Amino acid sequence: MRAEEREKKVAIKQENIQPSGAESLLNRKVIEERDTTYRIVSKNVSEYHFIVPFDLSEEERVEVGQIFSIKDQGLTFLARAVNIEHSSNYDGHWDTTMKGTQFFDSDQIFNRVSAEPLGCINRKLEFKKSRTLPTKFAPVARAEREEFRFLSQVMGDIEVGYLRNGSRLVEEIQVALHSEVMDHHMGVFATTGMGKSNFMKVFAASCMRLAARGQSKFGLLIVDPHGEYLKGKGPVKGLTHLKRYREGLACYSTNRQNASDPGVEELAISESEIFPEDIALLYEWSPPQRDALEAVSRIFDPASWLEEIKSPEGMVRMMQEGFKDSTVNVLVRRIKNELERNPYIRKRSSLANILANLQKGKVVLVDIPRMSDRSELFLLSVISRYILDEYKKDEKEGGESRKNCLITIEEAQRVLGSGSNISRFESIAREGRKFGVGLCAITQQPKLIDKQLLSQFNTLVVMGLGDRNDRRQLEESAKQDLTSMDIEIQTLEKGEAVVSTLNIPFPVPARIHRYEDYLRRLDKEDKQESLIARGGFKPFLD
Amino acid sequence: MDEDSRLSLIAELIRDHISLDGIDRYLAETGVQSCDFVPVEPRDFAGEIFAVDGSNASICGWSTANVNLIRAGYAVYRERDWKRTVITFDDAFLADPQLCQKMFDPYLEHFFGLKGIDFKESDLDRLSSYYRELHEYVAINDALSEAHAGDIILYDGSFDVFEPLRGVLAAIFDRAREKGIALLAVAKSSSIFWGEVVSLPFVQHTSMAGSRLLPGAAWYLSLKDKKVDAGQGRWNGQTYIVRFCGQSEHAFRVDAPSYLADDIGSVLEKLAAYSCSAECMGYPHALFRAHRDIRITEQEGAAACERLMAQLSEIGMTHSEIRLLMQDFHDILEMRPGI
Repeated sequence: MRAEEREKKVAIKQENIQPSGAESLLNRKVIEERDTTYRIVSKNVSEYHFIVPFDLSEEERVEVGQIFSIKDQGLTFLARAVNIEHSSNYDGHWDTTMKGTQFFDSDQIFNRVSAEPLGCINRKLEFKKSRTLPTKFAPVARAEREEFRFLSQVMGDIEVGYLRNGSRLVEEIQVALHSEVMDHHMGVFATTGMGKSNFMKVFAASCMRLAARGQSKFGLLIVDPHGEYLKGKGPVKGLTHLKRYREGLACYSTNRQNASDPGVEELAISESEIFPEDIALLYEWSPPQRDALEAVSRIFDPASWLEEIKSPEGMVRMMQEGFKDSTVNVLVRRIKNELERNPYIRKRSSLANILANLQKGKVVLVDIPRMSDRSELFLLSVISRYILDEYKKDEKEGGESRKNCLITIEEAQRVLGSGSNISRFESIAREGRKFGVGLCAITQQPKLIDKQLLSQFNTLVVMGLGDRNDRRQLEESAKQDLTSMDIEIQTLEKGEAVVSTLNIPFPVPARIHRYEDYLRRLDKEDKQESLIARGGFKPFLD
Repeated sequence: MDEDSRLSLIAELIRDHISLDGIDRYLAETGVQSCDFVPVEPRDFAGEIFAVDGSNASICGWSTANVNLIRAGYAVYRERDWKRTVITFDDAFLADPQLCQKMFDPYLEHFFGLKGIDFKESDLDRLSSYYRELHEYVAINDALSEAHAGDIILYDGSFDVFEPLRGVLAAIFDRAREKGIALLAVAKSSSIFWGEVVSLPFVQHTSMAGSRLLPGAAWYLSLKDKKVDAGQGRWNGQTYIVRFCGQSEHAFRVDAPSYLADDIGSVLEKLAAYSCSAECMGYPHALFRAHRDIRITEQEGAAACERLMAQLSEIGMTHSEIRLLMQDFHDILEMRPGI
């Protein structure tokens, strides 16, 4: 480049660098208080930070678990608050070295909210996981019902509660599980008093409604050792109080008085349906005793072994097989004790009926009040085995009309714990899905459940766990990432839950319906439906 | 002599020269009298206080030109409540002596009706400082247009400004007087000295004297006719030493245009009511906020430097050329990770 050309070029650039025109001389930028908070300030694709005033009123206060929306051009990002901390524009220990109490600039101190991105909603109102982050300083607002509309489209058919945004309810958005995924197993986790039983009753009520309407896709088996599901206790209602959908419920009870109620059948299990491995659950056995028990099915006819082993001939046959008389005596004595203790073991059986109801998609309640822990496990083991075997058979025979089944286990850590010898439930957890049989494990100690088994659970309903090890166990096994929700799970109040399930894109905070309120609502809804069905009109006002 | 002995000697010298054992000598040599300390009673004020400040950060320094980031603006308070902060200038400045006149003139002409800034050779080293000052005056001018009669505008600095910009200040004083607005400059550091034999720090010693004469009180002292050089006569106004808050040990140099001479006590009373914040006790709080809102942080300077280097790279300069031009050799000496 020649020297003159170069100088000419420099001169042009110099001209451009100078201010020109009155309008370019003053570029005022005004910052006001409303511009300083509720804006994204950092941080990356996996964590957003925004700031909020430190002195918000009770109603406006930000809580862990609250979902916020960030509108940025055509996208609405959703993010859940996972932590809130004090922060300020001042450095160091300014807050402990202040002179005097007349603090002027309250806008300079604020709370910094860390939020976990949930995803974003595009212009077509489709929810997607987000691979980008909102523009810096994009405005943040508490997500309102409009932003949650997309959730209504992904919710399932088993209503359990309302969406919760922090402590606030979003009543327009129901939280509902999908029937289709119930054979993928469900876990309900909560410490005592957090609302496990209430949840199960609400869940069962929704299943009853589906069954009564002919819309059920699975049968639900509940074995209730506390006698609280059938009729409730005092002001707490039971499943039979849901009269509108009573036809979706089949009840069996070991309690004579309960069984005398219309619609409740007395439970009976036939001796032929009891296997030696069911008896094995009831006691601690020495190795020789266990060997003897395992040999029973080889020595006797499986259909009549309970009768045969008690007879003198039967005992002789056992001893001829090399078992000591003391071992055989213990075995027989314990079997006799159990048969006496469990009067529901008879010649006839309710199991076929129970199975039929489950296959029709009904809720089957087996009421076993005041039954001991081991007896309950024994009964559950017999029923579960029967169901699994029948579903396996059905699968082979190509039975298409039957519905899937979900078996509920209370205090599931007893049978799904690491080192537990109850392989029946393990096998349902591992292979039940193939045959349409799912497990609903209820426990207050998920840390005691085998991690591998827990990872088979695709629906988790978490209702407040104070123990860090319990939370960690769930976080490590859950299909959706729950790690960021640790504080929220720790601080859940009674009736609140985090629901993580297939088909719903992120763990959803929920307030589970109070069963008694839900009953009233179902009753009212049904009346309106009946009125409409009869050609009436829906009144404007309730 | 080892290091401790030398430091000990220096400490003694400082004590002998600087420490004020009593105030008699101070009073005698400065011409200040006890009655010159006027108590200030804080008084609530419903008007607005504007605080103007500026900031200047070097992005890179070459032998031929410096690039600086410059920002100016003001914070506005009503009583204790911050209302807004207005940034009036926020840009890079290339301090090239060949260009500088054309960088100053449009502002001088548009805002103050002045033409042709006249730089001396010695001024060229401080171009970015003057440019920052110019934009601080533009910010004062903007604050004047926003303010109402009775409001107060504070400027962080002194009105004893360098000669080429004194015309600007005169225009600002006229506008402030016409609108009935109190305009004051508050300096955090000051080079006012007293003493017939050695130079002693005047503001600090006045502060100590004030503490003895009016303990626990706010006060002000006019430097009119005192034996200290505060630039009297070089600009149309009066300098004061002011303690804004009785609980604070600090006093500040305050410059006020001559039209405020009769009202200075009343204006300072209003300011005293808003100089007691826990954040920065003893300093007019609006100035504290202006300083924080307008300052250019080290990170901002570093980010601007990075952007400049990226631009240079984009237009074809090699990394070694950029390094040669922009790297401060101190970075090499200090073994700092640089460019």
